[in-house]
Amino acid sequence: MSERTYEVPKPYHDAVMHWQKHNFPDYPLLSQTWEKYFPTDQPFCLCARIQESIPDVQPVGAHAGEPRSLRPAELEPEAARHLLAIIRAQASTEFGSIQQHQATLERANDDQDKMWVLRVMAEELRHGYQMIHLLTSADWSSVSDAKPVDMVEEILSMRTGSHVLAAFNLEYDSFVDNVIFCAFIDRVGKYQLTMQKASCYRPFAASMPPMLREEAFHLATGVIPMRRWVEKAASGDPLITMATLQRAVNKWFGRGLEMFGHEAKGQEIVALGLKDMANGEAQDAYIDECGKMLDDLNKRHVRAMEARAATVDEADLLRLPHPRFFRRRGEPAFQMIAVDGAPFADVDAYVRYLGAVLPEAYLASRDVKHYVETLRKLVAGQITIKDAIKSTPHLARVGGACPCSNSVRWVVEDAA
Amino acid sequence: MTELDIESITQIDERVTGTYRPEVWEDRAAYYIRRDPDSSQVAEVDGTVVGFMMGEVRGGEFGMNEPTGWVEFFGVDPSARGRSLGRRLLEALLAHFRERGAQVARTMVQEKDAEIAGFLSAMGFKPAKVVPLERRPL
Repeated sequence: MSERTYEVPKPYHDAVMHWQKHNFPDYPLLSQTWEKYFPTDQPFCLCARIQESIPDVQPVGAHAGEPRSLRPAELEPEAARHLLAIIRAQASTEFGSIQQHQATLERANDDQDKMWVLRVMAEELRHGYQMIHLLTSADWSSVSDAKPVDMVEEILSMRTGSHVLAAFNLEYDSFVDNVIFCAFIDRVGKYQLTMQKASCYRPFAASMPPMLREEAFHLATGVIPMRRWVEKAASGDPLITMATLQRAVNKWFGRGLEMFGHEAKGQEIVALGLKDMANGEAQDAYIDECGKMLDDLNKRHVRAMEARAATVDEADLLRLPHPRFFRRRGEPAFQMIAVDGAPFADVDAYVRYLGAVLPEAYLASRDVKHYVETLRKLVAGQITIKDAIKSTPHLARVGGACPCSNSVRWVVEDAA
Repeated sequence: MTELDIESITQIDERVTGTYRPEVWEDRAAYYIRRDPDSSQVAEVDGTVVGFMMGEVRGGEFGMNEPTGWVEFFGVDPSARGRSLGRRLLEALLAHFRERGAQVARTMVQEKDAEIAGFLSAMGFKPAKVVPLERRPL
């Protein structure tokens, strides 16, 4: 289980630290409070970690049983192209989640919850750093004209609204989102990392076990505060209610499902040896796991209600929304489906319904506005479903992204 | 062991001790998950968690610098006893300790817990050259 650690070349390391200064200003607080909240834990290290002992042969795909590739050029071009896209998307999620968490971190009403999220953010920074290591330590010229410096620049230039996946383009409404995100969206991350452990590209596969070990705590950072909140909700605490949590679950669950990709696709990624499960199979397992999570939370809530001799109202218990509810990608994209799976025929009625089941603060967001406008155009026949799905924000281009100056790039290459 | 095992572990503990202590097990699970999530183990029967064993490799305690696998909390649902689950949990935990470089495993047992002492003895644990001391009242 030994690991080797790497620092990326100085221009990239400096770029990440400069990005941190602007996007993750609370980062220094972690080392200042580490001993209090994580006593005797290994200090945090911003570095790439590669597990040394992983199987030498590819476990899945058309080349299963053959040696894993050590360089992108050794991969089939199609596999290398997909892999590069996966690494860039993975990097986008890591940096994107930090931007989301940072906005509401200070609103935590419990110091431990806040410091747990702060640690999660630092570990996401490390995961992003790990992806930059993979992009900059190998020659991708066989499948991309982009230079490593431009790939890194593009990743660091993304902001909430311009990331690759929709879940990372939603702003948080409150600290409830920090916690629900860890429980639901980091759980998708766990699935992706687990599937990517099977990758035919050794440096990528060997990056996954250290990331997965950290991801386990990210899930606990979501579930344990939720467990305590449902207990507080049962005790009559007016500041947190089951309805608040349910609306937040409704906001995030569909975004999590969409992170797996289209339900009916993904077989080609398995055949190329990049992952060991197709999208639909992984998504089904995720749904089951989320269901178990909510069952456990409901048990905790019911026990707390019983302890007060209070009557449990079934309507108060948390439920997973129907997988087709509030989707904008995948097979059910832009279908008007209720949280219980019931279909709507009238767009105005559906929009009113969304107003009742989504968090109030989220309703006024750019994201909901875009969804509703797109849905209305689709229903009116002004756009096709393909156009609707494609209308989600696209990547920000590189250049001028650092707030220090309109002309400064994140990555400043050595003059020498 | 994952964060989704906490509720089952809490219920097993309640069946064994008669006390429902979710906060205690949330804190303990969080500790092990953040330090070494692959270490602590659970046993499932038909998809239900019926046993758990928590521990980790540490070094330096009490002047014992060698990496030591510490077996710290375990429990098996009374309805699932007699299926060698404790043995299998311990074997899995010890295998992980070896993988992490430990060459010794340690634990402590109260004198009154003869059943646990007997289980650990059957699993190869012997009295160590370490004397537990206490000061009571403090």
